[in-house]
Amino acid sequence: MDIALIHVFNALLYASVLFLIAGGLSLIYGVMRIVNLAHGNLYAFGAYVSAWIIGYLSTSVAVGEAGSGAPTWVLLALLPAGALAAAAAGALLEPTLLRPFYKRAEEYQLLVTFGLLMIIDDVIRFLWGPYPLSASVVFENFGSVTVGDTLYPTYNFLVIGVGALAAVFLWAFIYRTRFGVVLRATSQDMRMSAALGVNVNRVYVQAFTLGCFMAGLGGAIIVPSQSAVLGMGVDALILSFIVVVIGGLGSLEGALLGALIVGVVREAGITWFPEVELAVLYLMAAAVLLVRPAGLFGRA
Amino acid sequence: MAEVNRRDFLSGLGVTVGTALTALPGVLPSVGVAHAQDKPKGNIPDTPFKIGHMTFFTGAAAVLGEPMYKGQLLAAEEINAQGGLLGKRKIEILKADENAGTDANVKELRRLKLSEKIDFFCGITSSGNTPALGPVAEELKVLTIFVDGCTDFLFDKAVPNPHYIFRITNMQSADGVTGAVAAAMTWPRTKRIAHIHPDYSYGRNAFDHFRIVMKKMVPGAETVSEAWPKLGTTDFSSHITKTIAAKPDLLAISVWGGDYVAFYKQALRYGMFDKMHVASMIAFGVAPHAIGKDHPEGIIAGVHSNYHFTYPGGDKWPYNKTFVEKYHKRFNEYPNFQAEGGYTATYMLKTAIDKANHLAGGWPEDDAIISVLEGLMMAAPAGYVYIRPDNHQGYKDAITGFSKNVAEYPFPILDPNRIITIPIRNITAPPGWPKGEPTSTYTWIDKTWPQVAMAAEPAKAPGAARPATPAPAKKQ
Repeated sequence: MDIALIHVFNALLYASVLFLIAGGLSLIYGVMRIVNLAHGNLYAFGAYVSAWIIGYLSTSVAVGEAGSGAPTWVLLALLPAGALAAAAAGALLEPTLLRPFYKRAEEYQLLVTFGLLMIIDDVIRFLWGPYPLSASVVFENFGSVTVGDTLYPTYNFLVIGVGALAAVFLWAFIYRTRFGVVLRATSQDMRMSAALGVNVNRVYVQAFTLGCFMAGLGGAIIVPSQSAVLGMGVDALILSFIVVVIGGLGSLEGALLGALIVGVVREAGITWFPEVELAVLYLMAAAVLLVRPAGLFGRA
Repeated sequence: MAEVNRRDFLSGLGVTVGTALTALPGVLPSVGVAHAQDKPKGNIPDTPFKIGHMTFFTGAAAVLGEPMYKGQLLAAEEINAQGGLLGKRKIEILKADENAGTDANVKELRRLKLSEKIDFFCGITSSGNTPALGPVAEELKVLTIFVDGCTDFLFDKAVPNPHYIFRITNMQSADGVTGAVAAAMTWPRTKRIAHIHPDYSYGRNAFDHFRIVMKKMVPGAETVSEAWPKLGTTDFSSHITKTIAAKPDLLAISVWGGDYVAFYKQALRYGMFDKMHVASMIAFGVAPHAIGKDHPEGIIAGVHSNYHFTYPGGDKWPYNKTFVEKYHKRFNEYPNFQAEGGYTATYMLKTAIDKANHLAGGWPEDDAIISVLEGLMMAAPAGYVYIRPDNHQGYKDAITGFSKNVAEYPFPILDPNRIITIPIRNITAPPGWPKGEPTSTYTWIDKTWPQVAMAAEPAKAPGAARPATPAPAKKQ
């Protein structure tokens, strides 16, 4: 029974991070009709920035001596730095790199974002080298709680909480604020909103920044319990594609449901059929494509 | 086949704990250019000697690729400082990124040979790439030493009769075998074994060889859980939960690099290390300095059965001491097994060229270099390395050990008093053994190793090592 509960926590943990990444990807596509292939690397960038700051401040990571760094709450407060860095990168990239390509065919946008993916990859390696970067002191200081007769890392609950909060805030933001109305209007008909006086360029840069912020937050929040490694961005990108294919590209509800489905199926897969863990995820995406090509919540 | 007692079996394998390498007197070639050299004979051109070095410069495996390149770079800089190969030909390294994918790598090797006219090809990390590049290197007739890409498949199947290609790191099967031998002698009363391995050829290979050795040495132990995380996984929550739920007393794991760092940090918080013994094939092999002091002590922390920079330690083996000093001075980090491999491969080449020149004069033909490389034995930082003439594979004693924190390093190392070494000839299939499935070494172990008796002997401190006696694997 305890083990069953832990399986549920594990699934939620995975789903939370996936939702942050895939939600951002979906939001950007929903508003701007751009498939941002570099999205996974903005997640990685967020993870690296947070790990770098935390690692620097908690000398315990740098030299391996316990208790010689900043207190946990300071580190925790600085954790979102990765999300802000990713958001700043987004705010910079959209007007300079993406805007000139909106009028071109979609292939150009794919090429540009793919090029961006490789550039960010190299920038990360140039700045931080090939070795894994760890921010585990936060994860460690949170310790573990006892669930039945097994231990469970307390920090994971924080990740799940952040994922849930992000979903609630995003929903409120898009359905309950004036900016959300403008965002949805632009997403439905860009020309009409422009005609009605919406500054579309501004909406685009805001939406892109918000999407990158979510990806960066995903990286920042997960890096203490994992570590920042090269290649993490591409892996995240592939998984978020599975999520948005299942949920429907452009739909936040879809991203949430897709993340939950992938989280649960992965957990079940690892536990009962480890040999085909990955295949099951792809098969599921294929099945959804056959039955509902636009995804469960997609607009055809 | 008669059953044997485990302790006799271990001493028959020549397993030693905590002993040091002793240097052979004489003229064995060694790495480094400290000793005086003969003057090269004949006319040597002064054109640069071009090495194509392909390894991972991007992606998660750059954690292995970069040190490999740095090892070769260090050796090349040392040789160039002495005037170059045979005092004349400066080494020039052309880098290529292995992360481009197998097909692109094959094309790049062709381009390097045909357009760049490389004299020598080196590098390669992935076991997926050597079986594709090996046949192409043979076809192009380009002299090659693979540093890694250590799959048994390369010389078992892909290129069973190599001429131009060699490989320097121990074969992959040595990993699973060494890990299992160490686990069997340390925790002989193991009953329930769980496995976590990355889901590609390396992890499969470790799983197969760990299992077959455990079957021979710890009869009655069963596999109670398997988890196959994809390479690049950093969330191990599910794999850890599953493993703990299966209540094993031993975990065998071959997850490496950043994946392993993430794994052990999470496993600590799940209390996993308190619930079971852990035997890793490669925990400290990839990036020794990326492991924190929070890493549990006393687990078997494998080094890909190849090399850890602290062994042979101190002044016992000067080739290692000077190598580690020079490497640390040059790159401000400690070398892993790839760095040692890249360094040693370069000096093997140099030695072969020197010897071939000594025999015939002038710049030697590739065939002359190859005939010297076949059967060459050298003193390298990791110990003696020997190139077996029949399959062009480098062999050195397999090593593993137990994690321990010491004051000298800000990260854990292998406990210097409990290093386990196994003569490689006793854990790999001998020349002439028929090619087998999944590997020749697997079928050789299965068919020739005696079965340890099931008797419940008390757990004894291992390592009452006798001098290496013949392998237990003599044909009956």
